[in-house]
Amino acid sequence: MTSEGPVRLTLLPEAARFSLRVRQSDIAAAARAFGAALPARIGQTASAGPRSSLCLGPDEWVLHTSTDDAEALQQAFAAIAGAAPHSLTDISDRDRSILLSGPLVEDLLSTGCPRDVSSIPLGAGVRTVFDTVQVVLIRDGVTDFRLEVARSYLPHVMALLAMANLELAVAAG
Amino acid sequence: MSALRIPGKGRVDHAQPVRFTFDGKSYQGLAGDTLASALLANGVHLVGRSFKYHRPRGVVSAGSEEPNALVGVSRGSGREEPNTRATMQEVYDGLAAVSQNRWPCLHFDAGAGADVLHRLLPAGFYYKTFLWPKRFWDRVYEPLIRRAAGLGVAPSEPDADSYASRYAHCDVLVVGGGPAGIAAALAAARSGARVILADEQAEIGGSLLAETGARIDGQPAWDWLAAARAELEGMANVRLLPRTTAIGYYHQNMVGLAERVTDHLAAPPQHAPRERMWRVRAGQVVLAQGAIERPLVFHGNDRPGVMLAGAARTYLHRYGVKVGERAVVVTSHDSAWQTAFDLADAGVSVAAIADVRAEVDSALLAGAQQRGIEILLGHTVTGTSGRLRINAVTLAAAELVATAAGRVLRCDVLLMSGGWTPSLHLFSHTQGRLAWDEASQSFLPGERTEDCHIAGAGRGLWGLGAALADGAAMGAAAARAAGFSPDMSAPTVEGDPAGSGVTTTELPGNRAAHNTRAFVDFQNDVTAKDIRLAVHEGMRSIEHVKRYTTTGMATDQGKLAGMNALAIAAETLGAPLPAVGLTTFRPPYTPTTFGAFAGYHQGETFDVTRKTPIDPWAEASGAVFEPVSLWRRARYFPKPGEDMHAAVARECRATRSAVGMMDASTLGKIEVVGPDAAEFLNRMYTNPFTRLGVGRCRYGVLLGEDGFIRDDGVIGRLAADRFHVTTTTGGAPRVLNMMEDYLQTEWPDLRVWLTSTTEQWVTVALNGPNARRLLEPLVEGQALTDEAFPHMSVSECRVAGFSARLFRVSFTGEMGFEVNVPARHGLELWELLAAAGQEHGLCVYGTEAMHVLRAEKGFIIVGQDSDGTVTPDDAGLGWAIGRRKSDFVGKRSLARPDLVARNRKQLVGLVTHDPRTVLEEGAQIVEDPNQPLPMTMIGHVTSSYWSEALGRSIALALVEGGRMRMGDMLYLPMPEGTHSARVTGTVFYDPQGERLSA
Repeated sequence: MTSEGPVRLTLLPEAARFSLRVRQSDIAAAARAFGAALPARIGQTASAGPRSSLCLGPDEWVLHTSTDDAEALQQAFAAIAGAAPHSLTDISDRDRSILLSGPLVEDLLSTGCPRDVSSIPLGAGVRTVFDTVQVVLIRDGVTDFRLEVARSYLPHVMALLAMANLELAVAAG
Repeated sequence: MSALRIPGKGRVDHAQPVRFTFDGKSYQGLAGDTLASALLANGVHLVGRSFKYHRPRGVVSAGSEEPNALVGVSRGSGREEPNTRATMQEVYDGLAAVSQNRWPCLHFDAGAGADVLHRLLPAGFYYKTFLWPKRFWDRVYEPLIRRAAGLGVAPSEPDADSYASRYAHCDVLVVGGGPAGIAAALAAARSGARVILADEQAEIGGSLLAETGARIDGQPAWDWLAAARAELEGMANVRLLPRTTAIGYYHQNMVGLAERVTDHLAAPPQHAPRERMWRVRAGQVVLAQGAIERPLVFHGNDRPGVMLAGAARTYLHRYGVKVGERAVVVTSHDSAWQTAFDLADAGVSVAAIADVRAEVDSALLAGAQQRGIEILLGHTVTGTSGRLRINAVTLAAAELVATAAGRVLRCDVLLMSGGWTPSLHLFSHTQGRLAWDEASQSFLPGERTEDCHIAGAGRGLWGLGAALADGAAMGAAAARAAGFSPDMSAPTVEGDPAGSGVTTTELPGNRAAHNTRAFVDFQNDVTAKDIRLAVHEGMRSIEHVKRYTTTGMATDQGKLAGMNALAIAAETLGAPLPAVGLTTFRPPYTPTTFGAFAGYHQGETFDVTRKTPIDPWAEASGAVFEPVSLWRRARYFPKPGEDMHAAVARECRATRSAVGMMDASTLGKIEVVGPDAAEFLNRMYTNPFTRLGVGRCRYGVLLGEDGFIRDDGVIGRLAADRFHVTTTTGGAPRVLNMMEDYLQTEWPDLRVWLTSTTEQWVTVALNGPNARRLLEPLVEGQALTDEAFPHMSVSECRVAGFSARLFRVSFTGEMGFEVNVPARHGLELWELLAAAGQEHGLCVYGTEAMHVLRAEKGFIIVGQDSDGTVTPDDAGLGWAIGRRKSDFVGKRSLARPDLVARNRKQLVGLVTHDPRTVLEEGAQIVEDPNQPLPMTMIGHVTSSYWSEALGRSIALALVEGGRMRMGDMLYLPMPEGTHSARVTGTVFYDPQGERLSA
């Protein structure tokens, strides 16, 4: 998917994505099953191999991994269900991810996101809104963001981003 | 080149002439002109007619406070705007502007008859006159008033422009780019703070743009301004926003800025928005909005050519325009003397300076004498003359005004100044207190409610030096409060024309009160007499005076009129001014387009439209859609020549006789997981869930605490600790929030978690006697026999090669399955089933057929057959209540006396006497159609359809004591006649449920 303008918008292919909910007392066990850290601070990320985690709430993480690894990940968590009760729910198909890259990416996001996008540190993620739509925003680089949005809201968000990107093209030109 | 334009002078580009039209006549202006300055350069003062009396009016000001010079501007084809302020609209090549509120033309206006009749149109005229006779209101008075009301013509075409919006964050937001604002921005920015400086003019500078005499830090004012601007532009931590008006100051330092992006361009670039709304969240705000000059109130003060002295100075220095050839100045403030001097120095003949004060500073007297300007101290204006432009003013000594005739001085402009009013509109938005300052006779900012700082003339400081020093101090204070360490230094100023003045009410005159036309509010045509009349008729507070006279209620919100109206009201009441109060300023500060507020929300992106992965197939198949909450769903799939009735009948027939397929993906889904999942659902839903077996489903009813039905759905148990909960399409987010609320606040001990999975799955519903035959060959890992997979079963298996959650459920009464596959595979599964279904007589159906099929079985739709006041028993769902359950949400309410009353409205079936009559949903039901009006209504129709299966109409209705009325005939009076219908049970089709496994 392409769009005219200074920011490159790329719709990423579906990958494996899970919502993990677990109590404080069982985080360590869950992290062992996951094979990577589950950061305690909201907004922080951690990763190991194909697996990465983003803390979205005091007991909530979104886990990403490759499609090939999805089943292994589910089995690892199933094995600890008795000792460390938790909820691992497949949301691979619920959300889509858009990659936004370019020097004006913060301006583009600020057309719809009320947060101070520039204050999101590298490697951090936040649950926020774009226009009226709930999204998760992850900063992969100085000028690279990933925006995760529920599937049916994607066209609306994409249309707004494309429109604002055109507008930025005028301002930049 | 007009004689009024001084070659080479001002900040306009004399090398860049532009042509524009006003009322069809072509004029020349210069790049950098506003429409007002360009018209004045061409000697045009008359620009509009007033609102009520249609009096000729001219340009009064040089800023956004302009009450008179409101024009229509058009770029054609939907790009039209009424009430554009000529003082703010920049000229460009091809600008087309027209005057307003005149017919047939500006110079001769038939509506001016109202002016002759002004004595018959006093304040409160509408309230007094149009009361009676009452029946005249709708047909005569209101249309008449509506036509007379408002200036300009509302555009009739859709707005062709696009609008943008942006969020921004900063440490210090400075509102106003005059000397105080610039000094504040510099002080804050130099400390490293992120700064936004917004100014409504085309270039920052404010009063500096009309300041040529003073020197700042040893440099001419304009050189200092250029250097300051360059410094700000060069800093990465500063965003300069010219042409940007701060329109509203909201909670926690959220300030709305409306930026005019392309209104000044002859050819706006494609894709450029016309305006952009900035929503700024600022750590600290510096309000440097300056002060607005106050007009003097005297007979004939509204004649074209009478304008504010400060505006004349701006037109001279900033635009190089002499506003007239022969000026008279009337003032109560020193600043107008400086205007007189500057005009005289520029070659304008200044006949006299009349000052209401008996004494003024000797330096001013010397300045006037030097220039040969006559000085008239202690003088007043008793009148002006000239029809479409002032040609003379009559001046008289104040103490002799009643006896002496006064002196008539010929002039083509009369420049007035009644002092300066601090601009505190945005401060007022914050609900900050205003404090009355007796010395300056003005309101100044008092107690603050937000992190804001008021700098310069906005807090009553006068003079360039004071403004710069205060700006720097406030900018530094703001930066410090935001955590920076600013340097404290203010620029030094020489040649600063400082001054002082007094304020007045209506100037003394010599005419009978009823014949005095001394205007207070130019835009709404309110005179001093109107204000006094309002007080005499009992208005005590300025809020009442305002509403009675409409003073301050025009689009300029009384920026010029406010203080004069207040002073006159206070004087009439004999009360101190602050006791009469001050009207509240409300956002927006200046008129703002709807487009700026709407932003990107127009056309395709007006609102979210959610579509399922099957939607493209439905669209290609000619589906007719309907909105269901934010979703669009296929309502029916008409074949060529079919109307809705025919298509729905065909879809129903096929589903009952072969197999129907529907996209049910919009159903809400919540994954409930954890060791306490069953216990949690048991507490939320009326039905028992603890003992539901793995692989089994149960229909669940969700109540609110009040015992009324909120939602329903099928819940499947996938594992001991995992449930797949479905909700209604519209109820999904509400149900999730409600569950989460209970979980976090009531039962934090339960080890269970909720995840929204609505969009994880595409859900395909297959219903009909051939459903199993179609599905069986595609399913791996689950036998579909009645024994292995009975009605109300769920299984995780594979369907068509995709991992799937397969439900055996039915919302039609036929054998039914719902196949859930990950959304990415949904369309593929759908197309595969559509192809495989051909040999089984498969028919795709939409929501309308679904509604009919479920109604034939008496299945309710929450929100259609229930309305938030329906209990499970009312809906005939008493069986869904777990009698042995100790508790569930809403249980206690179900025992309340009014919820167990026998005569509650209950859901029943209705069959019309004439089987072809399909009742209207919402139709009211009565027992006796012959009772006198108003009849006693005992219920209403909630669902009504043509049933193809039964060959007749059916309906569901909520009727008082409905279940006790079985077999009774009830009546539905409708405009076309009264229908009769017999009360039945709610299950019209296959009451034994034999078809579920047929």
